[in-house]
Amino acid sequence: MPVEVVTGNHAAGYALAVAGEANRFGRGAACGIYPITPQTEIVERVAAFPFTKGRVVPVESEHSAMGVSIGASLTGARAFTASSSNGLAYMVENIMTAGFYRLPIVMVAVNRTLGPPWNIWADQGDSLMLRDFPWVQLYCANNQEVADLTILAFRLAEDHRILLPTLVCLDAFIISHTQGETDLPEQEAVDRYLPPLDLPHRMRHDDPKTLGGLIWPDVTTSLRMEIHEAMQRVPEVYDECREAFREVFGREPGAALDAYETTDADTVLVASATVATTAREVVKRRRAAGEKIGLVKMRMFRPFPEAALREACASATRIGVLDRDYAAGLGGVWWQDSRAAFQGHRDDVILQDYLVGIGGGDVTPETVDRVLEDLAGRDRAGGPVWADVGNGKGGGA
Amino acid sequence: MVEIRIHGRGGQGGVTLAKLLATSRFLKGQSVQAFGLYAAERSGAPVQAYCRFDDEEITNRNLIYEPDHVVVLDPTLVGPAILGGLKAGGWILLNTIATPESLSAEFPENRVATVDATAIARGHGLGTRSVPIVNTALAGAVAKLLDLPLEEILAALDHLGFGGGNVDAARDAYRLVAEHGPQREAGSRDGDARPGAIGRGPSFLAGAGGDLPGIKTGQWANEQPKRQQYVPPCNHVCPAGNDVQGFLHALAEHRVDDALEILLRTSPFPATCGRVCPAPCMASCNRIQLDGAVNVRELERYAGDKGEVKLVPAERREERVAVVGSGPAGLAAAYHLALYGYGVTLYEAGSELGGLLRTGIPEFRLPAAVLDRELDRVLDLGVEAVTGVFINRERLLELARNHDAVLVATGLQELRALRLGVGEVEMVSQGIDFLDQVRSGVPIRVDGEDVVVVGGGNTAMDAARTALRLGAASVRVVYRRTRKEMPAIAEEIEEALEEGVEIDFLTQPVAVQRMAQADGDTGEQHLACRRMELGEPDSSGRRRPVEVPDSEFSLPCHRVILALGQSPDLSVFPEGTEVREGAELLGLLETPVYAVGDLATNDGTVAAALGSGRRVAMHIHQTLTGEVVVSGEQTRVRSDVDVWHDEVIRDEALRMHLFERRPVESGEVIGLERRHTTFDEIHAGLPSAGEAKRCLSCGVCNECDICVTYCPEGVLKRVGHDLVFDYGYCKGCGICVTECPRNVVFMSHL
Repeated sequence: MPVEVVTGNHAAGYALAVAGEANRFGRGAACGIYPITPQTEIVERVAAFPFTKGRVVPVESEHSAMGVSIGASLTGARAFTASSSNGLAYMVENIMTAGFYRLPIVMVAVNRTLGPPWNIWADQGDSLMLRDFPWVQLYCANNQEVADLTILAFRLAEDHRILLPTLVCLDAFIISHTQGETDLPEQEAVDRYLPPLDLPHRMRHDDPKTLGGLIWPDVTTSLRMEIHEAMQRVPEVYDECREAFREVFGREPGAALDAYETTDADTVLVASATVATTAREVVKRRRAAGEKIGLVKMRMFRPFPEAALREACASATRIGVLDRDYAAGLGGVWWQDSRAAFQGHRDDVILQDYLVGIGGGDVTPETVDRVLEDLAGRDRAGGPVWADVGNGKGGGA
Repeated sequence: MVEIRIHGRGGQGGVTLAKLLATSRFLKGQSVQAFGLYAAERSGAPVQAYCRFDDEEITNRNLIYEPDHVVVLDPTLVGPAILGGLKAGGWILLNTIATPESLSAEFPENRVATVDATAIARGHGLGTRSVPIVNTALAGAVAKLLDLPLEEILAALDHLGFGGGNVDAARDAYRLVAEHGPQREAGSRDGDARPGAIGRGPSFLAGAGGDLPGIKTGQWANEQPKRQQYVPPCNHVCPAGNDVQGFLHALAEHRVDDALEILLRTSPFPATCGRVCPAPCMASCNRIQLDGAVNVRELERYAGDKGEVKLVPAERREERVAVVGSGPAGLAAAYHLALYGYGVTLYEAGSELGGLLRTGIPEFRLPAAVLDRELDRVLDLGVEAVTGVFINRERLLELARNHDAVLVATGLQELRALRLGVGEVEMVSQGIDFLDQVRSGVPIRVDGEDVVVVGGGNTAMDAARTALRLGAASVRVVYRRTRKEMPAIAEEIEEALEEGVEIDFLTQPVAVQRMAQADGDTGEQHLACRRMELGEPDSSGRRRPVEVPDSEFSLPCHRVILALGQSPDLSVFPEGTEVREGAELLGLLETPVYAVGDLATNDGTVAAALGSGRRVAMHIHQTLTGEVVVSGEQTRVRSDVDVWHDEVIRDEALRMHLFERRPVESGEVIGLERRHTTFDEIHAGLPSAGEAKRCLSCGVCNECDICVTYCPEGVLKRVGHDLVFDYGYCKGCGICVTECPRNVVFMSHL
């Protein structure tokens, strides 16, 4: 298989394209695309791909880009797109629609700070704002994960037990524009991994029907329950997809979360994406110095792997959650869900929120050291701490 | 792990260099990262790129703060910043022609290596001459410094599809890179760039006006709009040196007094020139390409007739200047000298002031009242006038002894004649004399006569039109060249034709003939003429008329008026004196004596005489005081201009499509009946100054503010007479430039 030194955007665009091409034996590939920094190279790569069967439609907005993909998916095409930041915000109505339509669309989101004021650098606030929609969300920490999880996402989304759109997220510039060695799977292998899409509720000209008409509360309730049940099946199906991936490609994408040195740890950091890999350096160094410290690297955000997180942190009494995002009025989004995971299960944990690298600030080992220092000195958890700011104690106590 | 930081400028290929280095290590099985620091780069801005490689998987996702090595793509970036965090023992590679030894004092704790990658890149045709792409050459140099075999970097080039000159450049640099060891042990390094905790920034609300620190739109721009100014053609050609664009701009804004004030800076006679000037400004007007020249002459008259300006001369000086001759040149010189504060005495041989303005231009073109008003303007400055005194050579020497400077502005007094044989004494007169007699009230009538006027200048036209008004049965002008060569003002020729004057072109009078009659010698009178054709150009550049053989014919004729032009009377000067403007005459005396106006230049127009008088007045002032005098032409920049051009702007440099068409306004003309029987002024003048709005203001900002209106970012403001660009937010879109009709706003490369 060809390993190349490419950017994260290159890996994402390539993966979307070969996954779409793999559906040439089915109803082809189709998508709407619209540019936005820093994901533009992804849709450029998709637009340049010589699809055997299908069509890439350049449109006038992110909202329409998802609209085209929804229409394409409803007819049984493999549909996908990419966006970022305020582009995702503008797309929101159709993002929600794709989820409620149960369409296995895959979207790559390059995590960029929401504005104004404008800022093009990494921040997860954009994709995390979609947390309440029926989308699976996965977060990558390097270029290889971008390629692998994007391809895996199609198999997961298209599984009849799931049928939920899936979001694959990567950090702006730190991944999107950074060159690194990446194994880009060949078409033939992707063809084997991704059989033609079989969408059970697809539109047929010989069987006209309306999707999305007016329904009563009871039907609404049961549709929500269906979504919830599908979400509950995701971890299991995800693991099956990883296993199948290994059989075809010879390597296995990571689990919903990675527990690193957590077995006997009294202190655990919870982090995602590139912040997690930098934190792992610190954990490795401190372990070597004898500290009982571990790291949970989160890969799946929706559904939130509550049980796995509790299990990984079983020995820890101090947990620091690193959030490169901020939910106004509360704090970090990862922290909120982590805190909820322990609610009713453990009451002996100091679970503290640290906001780091907001707006793309460089999260260095020193940042992580400062976090650990604060965490070690606490006798109870408080409100979110702005860890990049000198004495950045947040509100609450 | 090895970490390399690359300092370059946007567009130089620093990120690609990082990728080349990373690829060469990747091909050897290492884990790699290559990335740029992306922000508001534009080409040329200082930027950084990074490369790290390691045998282990790289998980660190930070920027590189403590590089093992540093590469500098552009020698102008060398400064303390490039050393930030550089590890002891690390090398610094510079793209420069300097030797590493010569730089070791600057980097005493590090290995210094240099290579002239720019020359190598140019030698292999990489990039453009102005922006050579140096990254592939530097990749070769880095390989050498990392002790890598050349083949490993060549493999990376090949893997990424770089061929040809890139491979040769890498090979050359690998061979040519020179190195010099550190001069002392590395100490602790200042300026470690690793970030600590950040401080609290400003409040959004406090900075809601857009003052939050960070990246402004302007930093993306490659170009910035700036303001320039050209010389409008009218200003360039005006013989008097008038700021034509300037006074038209004032008129267009209904500032009539300001318009007059601008004109009075260079000429005491706007109302006069506004009637009699041939107006070369109009012939050169760029508006001709759109819908006809701006009627500058009538607008100058408007300003001269309607404006009111109180002139205040400079403080009275002790020096006295004598001016001989009170024509336009002498008056202009007297005017400007009086404004400078000199005591001026004007000597006029005739009984009235004004020279040719008074004696040679008929009332219907220049009413005496208009001239008198403008003369008063000069006299009101304290100029003393002595009339009826002819200055001969002796008296000139006397004046020179009694004054600090003397100007001679006697114009052209020698009238050219034509020998026409018998009868010329009674029948032939000079046009200048004819006009002067009529003006001064000599009761001349030409009722029923056939009058022939010889010549093609304004005197010929004026004499012909005067004869018509005095009752002539017919008036013919004979001229030996064609209409094209006629020196008379085109409009005056038109008006003469309207009034019934006939013109015979290519005609040369030969002799007056009287047809013998049986009953005596009072037979019919004729003027024998010959046809001419145009031959080779003569010394004036005009084609010389040549007689057509056997082409004689005769015209009925009772009176011949000659208007053949004049030449200077130099008898006042010693033999062999070179008479030209600005040259001091009679060099034997200490007092400088100057010739001005037609006497010196032979230009033949009022405007040229005014310009000559003004220039010599300035020259005298400069000579007597040593002060440097700034002429009107150099004071026309009214406000801040980034670039001042001395060139004249032509219509092709204007955006003509942005101007609306608008017909020329000429004002009323009195009826032909009155023109045949009275000497009433035939032009009534413009009823308003609206015509001034037709001025395109070529190459000069007239504050139309279209640029301000169209700026999509709202970053262009008018502050007083200045255009203020907020470059912090100007994205360089250039709309202000494409919307500026007069080529004032232009884009400047950053």
